[in-house]
Amino acid sequence: MSEQNSEAFEMRSRALFQDSVDGLDMRIRSRLTQARSAALDAASSKRRPWAYGWKMWTPAAGVTAAAILGFALWVGSPLNHHAAAGADAQSNFEDLDLVASTDEGSADAMEMLQDDIDFYDFADKAANSGPAA
Amino acid sequence: MARFGTLNTAWKVWDNPAPAPEGAVLEYTRELEKFLAEIERRAFRMAQVALRDADDALDVVQDAMLKLTRSYASRPSTEWRPLFYRILENGIRDLQRRRTVRNRVMTWMPGPKEDPDNEALDPLDNVADAAPAIPEKLMQAQAMEKLEESLRALPARQREAFMLRNFEGMDVAETASAMACSEGSVKTHYSRAVHALREQLGEVW
Repeated sequence: MSEQNSEAFEMRSRALFQDSVDGLDMRIRSRLTQARSAALDAASSKRRPWAYGWKMWTPAAGVTAAAILGFALWVGSPLNHHAAAGADAQSNFEDLDLVASTDEGSADAMEMLQDDIDFYDFADKAANSGPAA
Repeated sequence: MARFGTLNTAWKVWDNPAPAPEGAVLEYTRELEKFLAEIERRAFRMAQVALRDADDALDVVQDAMLKLTRSYASRPSTEWRPLFYRILENGIRDLQRRRTVRNRVMTWMPGPKEDPDNEALDPLDNVADAAPAIPEKLMQAQAMEKLEESLRALPARQREAFMLRNFEGMDVAETASAMACSEGSVKTHYSRAVHALREQLGEVW
C-alpha cells in the first residue's frame, strides 16, 4: 500500500464524513442549536454575583463549626465529669450503708433518721458553711 | 493569579470579587457560541459513529457543551477544541460502559425484548428530502456506512485518533492534548487506524 494511496484514502474518508455532516436533517440541527443555547445560558447564569456568596461565608461557617465543636468537647469532657461523679457516688454509697446497716447498736438507724430529720438537715448545713464563729 | 500588597487588600478582593467587565463577558460568550456552532455537527457525527444512536450522541454532545461552558469558558479559546473533544470522548466511553452493564443485567431479566419496529416514529422522518436521491449520493452514503462500521470495529484509541486527525482536522499536538497522551502515541494510533481501515475496506473502496 503506497503513501499516495494512503493520502487518497484519507482525503476520501474526510470528504465522505463532511458530506454526512452537511446532510444532517433539520431535527438534529435544531436539537444541536437548543443544546448550544442551553450550555451558553448555563455558563452565563454561573457568572451571576450570587454565585460568589458561598465563598464569602465559608470562613465564617468554618470558624463557627470549630467553636461549637470545641465547646461541646469541653463541656462533655470525660476528664472533668467522671472524677466528680465518682466521688459523689462513693459518698452516697457510704451514707446509704450507714443508714441501712442492721449491725448491733444501729438497728433503728432508719427510725432515728426519720425522727431527727431537722437536726440532720441543720448539721449538714453547718458542716457545709465552714467552721463556726 | 492576583497578588496582594497586604492581607487587608486580599480580604477586600475576597469580599467583593471584581466581576469581569460586561464587554469582555459578551465578547467571550460570542466567541464561545461561534466555536460551538462551528464544531457541534462534526462532534455529533463523531459521537454517532461511536455510539450508533442519534439520541445518545445528542445527549453526549450536549453534556460536553455544558461542561465546557461551565468549567473551561475562561480558558484561552485555543484550548477549547482539545478540551471539548476530551470531554466528549469521556462521555462516549462512560455511555458505552453503562450500556455494557445494562446489557449484562437485561440478559438476566425476564420480559419482552425491545422491538425496534415498535419505536415511536418521528413524523419528520417521513418528510421527503428536497434533493432527489441520485445514485452518486446513494453510493457515497453506502461508502460512509462501510467506513462507520469499520471505525466501530477499531480499538477506541485508534478510532479516536483517526476521527480527530482526519475528520476534525486537528494536528498531532492538538490531538495529543485531546487524547491526553503523547504525540508519539497519536502518530502510532493514527497510523495503525489507517492501516486497519484500508485493510478492512479494501482497495476498491
